[in-house]
Amino acid sequence: MKKTQLVILVVIVIAIGAIIATISDASTYVSFSMASENPGTKYTVIGYLDKDGEMNYNARAQKFTFIAIDKEGEKKKVMYGQPKPQDFERSEEITMKGYSTDSLFVAEEILMKCPSKYNEQNEIEGYNTY
Amino acid sequence: MEYIGENLFIGQLGRFAVSLSFTASIISAIAYILYTKTKDSSYHRFARFSFWAHTVGAISIVLTLFYMMLNHYFEYDYVWKHTSLDLPLRYIFSAFWEGQEGSFILWIFWNSVLGILLMYTAKKWEAGSMVVFSAVQAFLSSMILGVYLFGHKIGSSPFILMREVVDNIGLPWTSVPDYLERFPTFMDGTGLNPLLQNYWMTIHPPTLFLGFASTLPPFAFAIAALLNKDFKSWVKPALPWTFFSVSILGLGILMGGAWAYEALSFGGFWAWDPVENSSLVPWITMVGGAHLLLIYRNKKTGLSAAFFLIIISFLLILYSTFLTRSGVLGDSSVHSFVDLGLSGQLLIYLLSFVVFSFGLLLYRYKSIPKSKKEDDLTSREFWMFIGSLTLLISAFQITFSTSIPVFNALFGPEGWIPFMEDKMAPPLDAIKHYNSFQLPFSIVITLLIALGQFMNYGKSKKKFWFNLLRSFIVSLLVTAALGTYYDMLTDPLYLLLLFVGTFAFFSNLDYWLFFKKANFTFAGSSIAHIGFALIMVGALISNGRQQVISNTTIFLSDDLPNNENAVLDLMDTVDLGPYKAQWTEMEEIGDKQFYNVNYYDKDFQKQLFTLRPFLQITDQMGPSPNPSTKHYWDKDVYTHIQYSSYLEPVSPDGYSNEMELEMERGDSAIFNDHFVIMDSIKVKASYNENTNVLEAVRLTAILRIVNVLGEEFMARPSFILIGNEVTHEDAYLETQLFKFRLDEVNPDTNKMLIKGSMKKLEKEKDFIVMKAIVFPMINLLWIGSILMVLGGFIAVYQRVRR
Repeated sequence: MKKTQLVILVVIVIAIGAIIATISDASTYVSFSMASENPGTKYTVIGYLDKDGEMNYNARAQKFTFIAIDKEGEKKKVMYGQPKPQDFERSEEITMKGYSTDSLFVAEEILMKCPSKYNEQNEIEGYNTY
Repeated sequence: MEYIGENLFIGQLGRFAVSLSFTASIISAIAYILYTKTKDSSYHRFARFSFWAHTVGAISIVLTLFYMMLNHYFEYDYVWKHTSLDLPLRYIFSAFWEGQEGSFILWIFWNSVLGILLMYTAKKWEAGSMVVFSAVQAFLSSMILGVYLFGHKIGSSPFILMREVVDNIGLPWTSVPDYLERFPTFMDGTGLNPLLQNYWMTIHPPTLFLGFASTLPPFAFAIAALLNKDFKSWVKPALPWTFFSVSILGLGILMGGAWAYEALSFGGFWAWDPVENSSLVPWITMVGGAHLLLIYRNKKTGLSAAFFLIIISFLLILYSTFLTRSGVLGDSSVHSFVDLGLSGQLLIYLLSFVVFSFGLLLYRYKSIPKSKKEDDLTSREFWMFIGSLTLLISAFQITFSTSIPVFNALFGPEGWIPFMEDKMAPPLDAIKHYNSFQLPFSIVITLLIALGQFMNYGKSKKKFWFNLLRSFIVSLLVTAALGTYYDMLTDPLYLLLLFVGTFAFFSNLDYWLFFKKANFTFAGSSIAHIGFALIMVGALISNGRQQVISNTTIFLSDDLPNNENAVLDLMDTVDLGPYKAQWTEMEEIGDKQFYNVNYYDKDFQKQLFTLRPFLQITDQMGPSPNPSTKHYWDKDVYTHIQYSSYLEPVSPDGYSNEMELEMERGDSAIFNDHFVIMDSIKVKASYNENTNVLEAVRLTAILRIVNVLGEEFMARPSFILIGNEVTHEDAYLETQLFKFRLDEVNPDTNKMLIKGSMKKLEKEKDFIVMKAIVFPMINLLWIGSILMVLGGFIAVYQRVRR
């Protein structure tokens, strides 16, 4: 079974290669301050929306800006070049993939975590007035 | 307390059916075990009877839930959450399996159908495989039990009343006997997610879950073989099931891709999303397993590897279930289920199946017969073995990268073993990451497919290369032509895949048509392989050479992602790649806004086609875009609306730009360059003369508005409460084009919520923001998909007949 063993060895080598490549490809979740240390390098930042901050969506220019607060509490202006996501104001957590520039963080992709609508509706419209 | 208007019997019936299917599957497993031990045929009859009872239970669950949904019993949580009165009847199926519970039921249903089939066809393998079947069914049925044991939730029942849902227990409305008639919320359900109101949602989940279920028979055979120490004879009966699984699971996955492409706005058919990946991986390993079984049938070698791949395919289905339903994917996938608090239960099941199956395999490994002979380098079996291993690594790589959230849960800073300092994030560019691995793997696989049919078991003949020569030359020519046309000559990996893809297509076609004279006996494998080759070529060209034609360079730099969308003003024409496009009207039909976009040739001489992408606007989801695609034979022009000016909130009287001010007496705020000061509040209340109960309240806020010149205006919005009814009397300030509404009083702070809005004098020109992509040659992908599945089914048919 020499040949088979050789093949399996090759398979294991490729598998280990895949693991190493994945780990080096995988980014880490960072804070805004880490992202601004290397402007232009892509990072994933998890934060939440600053509800008192300025939020602006210019549909014609396709520019959506808002203020996000990262897990270390740092506020940063974020620009997103896509239409404003639905229910953005209600998001609990925002995952932003993108890079820092000298003035703001440019998000290329945004994922939001929203409270389930179902739970909210359980607080029953009409109950308050009952 | 007696509640009014609840239909309790149907729920009890449903719960009884769940208990029946759960207990009967356990009894069936035990009876089958006793039958294997004692060979007493009364146990056999009893085991079959129990499995039938289980199946009756499963079918009753399905019927009961349908009955509840069709009759709008909104007192049941599942019905309330997934249907509504206005849900068209044709979407009732989609609503059925929209939730986790419903999709578990679907899975249980298919398993029981396959189980019955297996029970009467497996003959001497019946007892062994049905033990595995019944055990799996017990596990699945327990996922919808919905009982609490020592404070732990076991399963989530679709037959639970809304007032019995844990989150709702103790809420004030649950102590209102006529809550169903009293609160408008309970008179109608929240309805089906509009994204899922689509015919794909009707056919994709049942197919995919049949695919999931189809991995169980091969697994059951393999485990039974290991248990009985009968390592050889299971291969023959397992083969048709394995090919069935490859075909149906493949069909389910491809339907998912077609759905994403046709009806969702992902902009493509495959995005390497964790949910997609986790159903693709078991298919890949099952394909490997099927080919290893073929090797064993023909050359009696590679048996242990076949055991491994068949077993791991089923385990990967369980893993996929765990990933998508435990909430672990959380922030890395857009469409996984929400956590129902069942992750612990899922994990226990997953681990017990993994430990049991692999433990058994290791324990028996030494006894599994192995071939003494070294495979010849030119033999078909050697290269099929290499192909299966390549599939295994491909599956491994996808699983590893998809599992990053799992590694975080295990080793992250908040994990079980805090080994890593930071959480790992999934690769920033997922598509690039997966493609960089899967492209080379697919080149190897496709090349093996091109050569495979011409090889012989044992040792290939001298004529091997000669036989391949003509398809080789034809594919070189075709590759040169396609490669030049689609500009792939400078991209070695793309060019290589293009070549092996066309090579696999022509060599398999040649083999079947000319070497086998189109003999039906050989049709299955040839057609399936031709299909696979077309999928590769179609995916490569349509994905690798897709072209966003809505590129605009209105502002900012090139590397910003926002220049992929074009802004179209009403009736203006815009350049979109080789077209000119004009948006002519918005048509509102029901809750859908259709946007008619006409495409013209570059010179604006001739109208070529019209696309009607739409936005579906619902309270539940807001606007959800639905693309529209023009299909040509050699390309698709795909369009979807990202945003439109119709979405800007305007109240019926023309006021917009609403702003909320929270104030109490004496507060001031700034609103559109004006000061707003709340001078005083007037309260008028009236009581019932006899009972002294409050009947009506009228609150009026006296607002003073001061402009930059110091001019003052007064506004008096009111909030009126009569019984349970709230009405508003808005204050209009015609001179400043303002409107104020006293919306509500915050009971915690006693502040008033004032909503101010402004009328726009002239409406801005309407516009849409849209994205348009050209997908060349995507039809090859669909034709290939159909052929591959068709070939698979022919292979099943041939195997069953033999």
